[in-house]
Amino acid sequence: MVYRRCLQLLRDDAEACDLMQDVFLRIYSASERLDMESPSSLLWNTATRLCLNRIRDKRRRGLDVDSSSLLLSIACAEDEHDDYETKNVLAKLFSKEPESSRTMAVLHFVDGMTLEETAREVGLSVSGVRKRLRGLQAKVKTLEVQ
Amino acid sequence: MIPDWKLERFLTGDLPEEEMNKLRELEANDAVFANRVKMLREDNKAILSKLPFETLAERIADATDVAGEGRANLGTVTETAGTAAKNAARFTLVKFAAAAMFVFAVALVAFFAQRETSVMNERVGSDVANVNGSQNTQVALAEIQSDTRIKGLEARMEVWKKTSAGIVQLNDLDSVGEGDEIQLRYAVPEKCFGLLFSMDGNGALTLHMGDGVKAVELAPGKMNSLPFAYKLDDAPYFEKFFFVTSPKEFAVEENDVDKLLKRSDVKVIGFTLKKAGK
Repeated sequence: MVYRRCLQLLRDDAEACDLMQDVFLRIYSASERLDMESPSSLLWNTATRLCLNRIRDKRRRGLDVDSSSLLLSIACAEDEHDDYETKNVLAKLFSKEPESSRTMAVLHFVDGMTLEETAREVGLSVSGVRKRLRGLQAKVKTLEVQ
Repeated sequence: MIPDWKLERFLTGDLPEEEMNKLRELEANDAVFANRVKMLREDNKAILSKLPFETLAERIADATDVAGEGRANLGTVTETAGTAAKNAARFTLVKFAAAAMFVFAVALVAFFAQRETSVMNERVGSDVANVNGSQNTQVALAEIQSDTRIKGLEARMEVWKKTSAGIVQLNDLDSVGEGDEIQLRYAVPEKCFGLLFSMDGNGALTLHMGDGVKAVELAPGKMNSLPFAYKLDDAPYFEKFFFVTSPKEFAVEENDVDKLLKRSDVKVIGFTLKKAGK
């Protein structure tokens, strides 16, 4: 599942392998705070977030990115809730702090989850997800929050 | 159309029960959906083959720097205090990785559970010796072979139960009932001799793995499923399973199990299931 998720977002086998291992490594690093209540969600969302970071980093370094324009715009969107690397990302994640808006956007706009499903996935209310997505929408004009 | 993310959750059994049932029904009645599920399961196997669990564990070990020199000593009997500490860290690591890989494991179990249906009743076998007139019957189930390896860990035994919703792993002291089908799995960290048997509330002993009453040689590494599931009879109170291992050959005396269990040169793993309503 994790490998397929990485491959879906990165479209590169080697990168997907690399990221898949990063996903497990990141989770392991925070294993003491690990909440395995929904392991699939944890793995899926961690993979999504790391892939978005990878896409954004590549774009910033001027490298070619084989992603859809929608995914690219989400990955590169500024997200005040997504400053995870400097704000102890996993501590937030495992203490059930809301996922990044960018991840929510991928779940909703790319994966096709409904707002209800997205909310369940990230542990927020539907209105909370809607609000976060609208915040991101202001920066990514192509997003249309229902 | 069922989106990919939901299909993934279906494979891992990580959807609300209502949705799981809906998708199970869809799989049974919709050839297109069934084919998607089948392809994904095959893809899971291919990925596990290409990216085996050990590789991931090694990578994590390298990155977290807990393996170090301890890796070469993993599983050896002679441990210095230093290597023991490293192995302990690695043990934690492998436990974590195993938990993380649970998602895959569930998918595999689901896969094999499906296979079981087709071979059910075709292979009523003779591998399991039925000692002392127990009424327990043997039910053929497909082998559940996982590539998960437990090198460096203690011997262990897992007990699974087949339900209408699939196969679920049981915990010690869980309740079961007459007619429940139980699948046993085991793994050992090093070459040894092993015997797997159970005793029910009537005092009936049933051997599940062994050469008669003699222990058989076991290879270290991956989890092994016994080739046949075990259907519980109406014996009251409990069904207790014993997985006994030793570096030396040994046997169990049908009328004196305690004698074996008290030996200092064997390791015993016990697992008790309570009989519901008894």
